[in-house]
Amino acid sequence: MQDAESRLQTIQSMLNAGQRSVHLERHTLLIWGITGGLLCAFSDPVLSMVESTNLRALAVLLWLSFWLGSAALLDHTLTRRARQLREETLPFAQAQIGRAWRLLFGLGILGTEATFFYGGGLMVYPLWLVLLGLGIFLFGLFSRALIEWIGICTVLLGITALAAGLPIGGMRWLAASCFAIGLPLAGTLSLRTDGKALAMRHAALAVWLAAVLLAAVLMTSMTRLGARPPESRPVAIGAFHPEPGAQLLLLPAGTVAHIRLDLQSPLLAASPQASLPVTLRQPIVLSTRDGQPDGGYQLSGQTWHQLSEGLLDLRINAIRVALLGQTAELQVHAIFHAANPTLSLP
Amino acid sequence: MTTPLPQFDPLLHQPLRTQIAAFLAARGEATFSELKQALEATDGNLDSHMTKFIDAGYVKTRKQAAATGRAQTVFSLTPAGRKALAAYIAQLHALVALSEAAPATPKRLKPV
Repeated sequence: MQDAESRLQTIQSMLNAGQRSVHLERHTLLIWGITGGLLCAFSDPVLSMVESTNLRALAVLLWLSFWLGSAALLDHTLTRRARQLREETLPFAQAQIGRAWRLLFGLGILGTEATFFYGGGLMVYPLWLVLLGLGIFLFGLFSRALIEWIGICTVLLGITALAAGLPIGGMRWLAASCFAIGLPLAGTLSLRTDGKALAMRHAALAVWLAAVLLAAVLMTSMTRLGARPPESRPVAIGAFHPEPGAQLLLLPAGTVAHIRLDLQSPLLAASPQASLPVTLRQPIVLSTRDGQPDGGYQLSGQTWHQLSEGLLDLRINAIRVALLGQTAELQVHAIFHAANPTLSLP
Repeated sequence: MTTPLPQFDPLLHQPLRTQIAAFLAARGEATFSELKQALEATDGNLDSHMTKFIDAGYVKTRKQAAATGRAQTVFSLTPAGRKALAAYIAQLHALVALSEAAPATPKRLKPV
């Protein structure tokens, strides 16, 4: 009877070996890691040169499809060749997961594209992190347990970055780090700790997390240091004379600024003079280059930020039409959100 | 009363062949090199077992081009092979259940 039990155990272990036969090639991790990392790091700076929203949406679609499609094709070709050289077949599970992986990346491209038309641009990097994490987790289910854990950690990093309100610059470098450092490192660590004690694999997970986070923090800090405005004295707007080079401009509390409406609609046309006056509740310092604001700003008691960090966002919650005598009024309820509320809508 | 012991499939009731069948059942298909690596078997030993499986109709083969230029053989279980493996596993389970249900050996009573 013991023989029957031991035979069942042998069958079970061979079934596991057959099912857990998915093997991520080293070149797969490098190709997807480097492509994803470079896309996260440089897509925004390259594509922001396209000014029209519709053209930029098209440029993003072509840019992401080209690079990720090329990565998929190169990975498929190299994997096939490597397997043939080793006289191995591609397990059925791996072929299916490969399809799911490409589907996740396709969804990522569509999700990024959708933010141009439905908003939510701040979610782009967390979305890619969650999709990357799901892809890694899928591979891990049929490969090694450490890959599974790294997949879960990547999903959690994406969710935490969004929930914690990380600036978009930080999110960008976190996503770049998860791709370019996280993917190749996951492969190396899982090979080195294969069959080792649980504590060893936990330590490998800690090493992975530390490497990914440290790289993201370092890159975010370096970018901020590079973009730091000159240590000159801010000049009040009344006394400001534009000069070549960098200057700091002070807008004191109570300054009235105008939000110019640039409405894109087949139904409504905004007058070119239409503007919304807003009053500053706190002083704000703007950095300028050659007499024009360059997107850097500092609120009182805070460090310098960039408009592109996404700390300021305007959300339209409700639109209502009201009749006032012979005219109709479009009442828009919007929330201007900032890390430190400075502007007040009248 | 005695319970008849199940008649095991002689082809599958051999340790290495059981492992080959289980591995192929889970993986779908595998080359000779992959089987050799997974089972840590020698070429001759594995070849003789695979021949027995193919002759019995439990395993089928197909040829695929290899990078070296020569064609390589890919093995997979046939429906008959899968059915036989499932039946063999069911027999093993029945045997284990039988042993668990059997009454414990009675203790020898001390003479009064």
